[in-house]
This record gives sequence, C-alpha cells and structure tokens, in this order.
Amino acid sequence: MAHFLFFLLAIICIASVLGMIISKDQAYTALFLIVAFVCMGGLFGLLEAPFIAAVQIIIYAGAIMILFIFVVMMINLRKGVGPEKKKWTMYFAVVIAAVLVVELVLTLKGTLEPISSAALESLGSPTDLGRLLFTKYLYPFEITSILIIAALVGAIVLVKKRDKE
Amino acid sequence: MNTIYALFPVLIIVAASLLVMILEVFLKREDRSYLAYISLLFLIAAAAGCVKFWDKGYSYFDGNLSLSNLSLFFCFILIIATFLVILISMKYLTLQNANYGEYYVLLLFALSGMIIMVSSSDLIVIFLGLEVLSLSSYALAGLRREDEKSNEAAVKYFLLGSFASAFLVFGIAFLYGATQATAIPSIVEGLQSGSSFGTLGLVGLGLVVIGFGFKVAVVPFHMWTPDVYQGAPTPITAFFSVGPKAVGFAVLLRIFIPYFKDALESQLMFGLLWIIAAITMIAGNLIALRQTNVKRILAYSSIAHAGYLMVAILAQDTQSLVFYLTAYLFMNIGAFAAVIALGKKDHEYLELEDYKGIGFRYPWIGATFAVFLISLAGFPPTGGFLAKFYVFSAAVRQGLVSLVIIGVLASLVSVFYYLRIIIYMYMKEPSYDVEINIDNPSLFLALFLCLYGVLQLGIFPGNILVLISQAVAALPF
Repeated sequence: MAHFLFFLLAIICIASVLGMIISKDQAYTALFLIVAFVCMGGLFGLLEAPFIAAVQIIIYAGAIMILFIFVVMMINLRKGVGPEKKKWTMYFAVVIAAVLVVELVLTLKGTLEPISSAALESLGSPTDLGRLLFTKYLYPFEITSILIIAALVGAIVLVKKRDKE
Repeated sequence: MNTIYALFPVLIIVAASLLVMILEVFLKREDRSYLAYISLLFLIAAAAGCVKFWDKGYSYFDGNLSLSNLSLFFCFILIIATFLVILISMKYLTLQNANYGEYYVLLLFALSGMIIMVSSSDLIVIFLGLEVLSLSSYALAGLRREDEKSNEAAVKYFLLGSFASAFLVFGIAFLYGATQATAIPSIVEGLQSGSSFGTLGLVGLGLVVIGFGFKVAVVPFHMWTPDVYQGAPTPITAFFSVGPKAVGFAVLLRIFIPYFKDALESQLMFGLLWIIAAITMIAGNLIALRQTNVKRILAYSSIAHAGYLMVAILAQDTQSLVFYLTAYLFMNIGAFAAVIALGKKDHEYLELEDYKGIGFRYPWIGATFAVFLISLAGFPPTGGFLAKFYVFSAAVRQGLVSLVIIGVLASLVSVFYYLRIIIYMYMKEPSYDVEINIDNPSLFLALFLCLYGVLQLGIFPGNILVLISQAVAALPF
C-alpha cells in the first residue's frame, strides 16, 4: 500500500511540476504548483512526518500560493513573458543541473537502504514539536508574537488611508 | 540568577509600544505629542531597570535571556539612542507631514528587538530579535509616504534586508550542522575543537558575517546605505546609523572575540574580516568626498565608522569597541539632530549649498554641528578622538600595524569632507536665505545632551571607562 501510494504521489508530483514548467498560462502554472505541493505533503506524510506534511500543505499550498495568485492577478500577467533566450544561460543551466544531479547521487549513495522505523518514530510528531516549543524554545516562540505584531503594524501604517489634515 | 525579573527591560518596552498603539486611537491628531512623552517615560523606566540590574547577573529561559553587565550596558546605550531619536523627531513629524502615532510604536518595537539581540547568546533568539528590528525598520524607512525617495528607501531596505536575513539563517543552519549548537559559546567551542566539519563551520561563519555585514553596513555589503539613509525620515536615519550598527557589532563581538583567541583555527576568518575592515575604511571615506548631500555624506561616514569598529573586533578589544560605539552614538545622533534643526514646514535643508553662512546666521546650531563633525573626524578634545585613539592603540598592541596605518590615512581623508561642511557654514557667503523653524525645544534638548555626551567622553572619560571595564570583566558573557 505504502509503495503504491509513494509511486502514485511521486508520479503526480513530477507530472505536475513538468506541467508547471511547460504551461504558458500563469494561472495554470500556479495551479500545477499547488498540485505539486500537495503531493509533496503526502510524501512527507508517508515518511511519518505528519507535522511537516501539514505545514507543507497549509503554508505552501495555502498561504504562499495565495500570494502567487494575488500577484498574477494584480499585474494581470495571463501570458507570461518568455525568458530571454541566450546561449550562455542555456549552458549555465545545464551546468547547474549537472551539479545538482551529482549532488543528488552523492547524497543518495549509501542511504538507499530502508531506514528502520524505530528511527522514524518521533520524527516531527506534533506532540513533540509542541512540547519543545513551549519548553526549550518558549522564549523564541514568544518573540515571534512581537515579530508578527511589528510586521502587522508596519504593513498597516504603510498602506492605510491618510486621515484628513 | 534565574529570575523572571530579567524580562523587565524587554517587557517594559513592548508594553510601552502596545500602550502607545492603543492610546493613538483615542488621541486627536494635535495631541499626538503625548505619545512621545509616554514613550520617553517608559524608556526612562527601562533605563532605570538596566541600572538597577547592574552586577546582578539575572537570567531567564535557561540562559536564553541573560542580562550580563555587557548586555546591560548595550541595552542602556540603545535606550539612550532611542530616547534621543524620539526627542529629535517630535517636532520633525509635524513639520514633515509624517505624524503617525505608529511612528513611536515601531520605534519601540525596533528597540525591543535590539534589546532581545544584545541580551542573548543564542543565535535563534538573536535572529528573531534582528527580524523584529528589521521589520519595524522597513516600515519606518517608508513612513513619508508622499515622498518618492522614502518609498524607494523602504523598498530597497526591505529587499536587501530580506536577502541579508536569508544569508544569516543559512549561516546559522550551517553552524548548527557543524557544531550541533545554536548558543554562541558552544558554537565557538565546537569550531575550535577542530571537528571534521571545519569547512561547514567556516561557510556558516562566512554567511553570518554577510548577514551582519549588511546590517552594520560594511563594504562590500553597503550598497543600500546611502539611498536608505537619504530617503528615510531624518530622525530614522539617525536611528539606523546607530541602533542596528551597535547591535550588529554586539553580536559580532560575542562570536569573533572568543573565536579569534585560537589564532590558528581562525586564520581564514581573521583575514576575511581584515580585508573587510580595510576596504570599508578606504571606500567609505573616499566615496564620501564626492557627495554633496549632507545626509549622504553622513551615510558614507557611518560606513567608514563601521570599518573602524571592525578594527576593534580584529584587535579583540571589547573595551575600545564599546567605548567607540558609545561615543559614536552621541556624535552621530547629534550631527543628525543638527541637520534636522535646519528645517521648516515641508522642507529640509540637506544640500551642501544650503549650509553656506549657517554658522553666523544660526550660531548655536552651527557651533554644535561643528563640534559633532570635529568629533566624527576624530579631533581632541572630543569623544571621537579618544574612541579612535583607543581602537587604534589596541590594534597596534595586537600587531595590526598595517591595518592601523590604513585606518589613520583613511581618517585623514575623512577630515576633508567633515571640514568641508564646516567651511561651508563659516566661510562661504550665502546666496539665498535659509529660513528655519526654531521653535523646537525637544530638539535643542537632544542637541545639548549629545554635545554633553561628546565632550564628557572626550574630556572626562574616566567614569564611562570604569563602567565599561566592569562590563567587560564578566567575560565570557
């Protein structure tokens, strides 16, 4: 079952990423990206990392995608501007892709054996994360609240309507 | 001692900003100056707290928050800086059409971020504090919304600042990978023990230097500085030139002074910072020569000063670094206060041409501005002279003779552009009238306080030096 789900999600993920690259329409691109993100979330779930799976879906497929779509809507860019096709960018891209492939192979080498499930047991479970957040990382966690309110105030003061003199 | 009192300075600043935020809703536009008074009161309370906690060594959250004497000293000078900035901005905001209550809210949030940064040695906490500071700063830079330059400043600061933060997080992640720690002492220990992850740690340190190098504006990460300093409201420029710089160096000091103790391990980073210090001093001063806008001149001067501060880090001398930052606070905020004094409704005089004959027309402003410029240039009997003297002599003791020669030559160059402003003020005939609004008591109070600070540090630095040596005695933090 797990194997079947893995290959299903992986294939959908790769297909939608390909669709995202090939598609010319900005809105479709964004939608393909959502599908890819959701599949990634599913893959994290299969790896017994439910918290990361949830975050992947909530933050990437939710919040960040909405930002993307807002931008697409606001600048009204249905048909994307094609990237400038220069020879050297092409070569550069090939080189970087090759480096990435090598890196991937090196990382995978030796880690392909199935990981024992004992090691996975507490990896990113929401309970543990929550407990850490409210004990060891309480201070950073509380600072985040100041951070958010500072960001809110800053954003509002920059965009709100001016009151009359 | 582990006690909840350690939270007092941060909490009181956050409480002040929340209170100001709520009160702003209920106050009429004309009454907004009350918000400034309230902020000032809370700042005094926080400063009193810092004084009271001296030598107590309070800490909380398993040492994530620790008020060592050095932290308290930094908190204290940051509170003074914010105090002065609020004083110089009270009238400015109504004159320049930027009278938002949120101004004080954001300023206090920025201060709380800085206090969080200097009172912790955990890189996660430091990063979050830096973000609180940065996010408030981005908004403050763009506060004059009708002004194109101010918008440009906000956007530029935001984009480049986000990049710098990303570099910093990346660096922290690398350091964690290399040493399995986020607390600075354990990281330094891990790096010095020469584990197999040496390269990883070096990359991490390099990325952290880039992140903070941006915040303290050292060459080559200084590109944003002149534009942001020019575009932001002038009191905020004064704040930017002092606050983020002080906290950036406070963190660099915690990392690099213990790290450099092991000369062999740290050779590479030492060389890197040496080069940064040298080109910052040279480039900052040389480019300043070509500027005609006073704010831009002061921007490049602040870049050059970051170079001198970097020399103090390389000399591994905390005392001279802290003294330099203290003196720099007074002279730089003072200089900006004098620039703000030369303003009227909806107009600021910022071009060098405007300063012709100011020295005789407005003798007090001219004279104090001249003192601050002399101090920035590093002449006795001002604080700027002693600060430079301590830094350079510490560097010579450490054997950095060539760096000191570069520094002294660079500050000789700097004399030219500081004196040029003075020459314009006293030796050129004005070609047009400069009308300014002189009904601005809080600004003159700030000018006086800065003047007092500069002269006190220059003539009787004894008390402050004793305090600083007490603060440094508690090393390692």
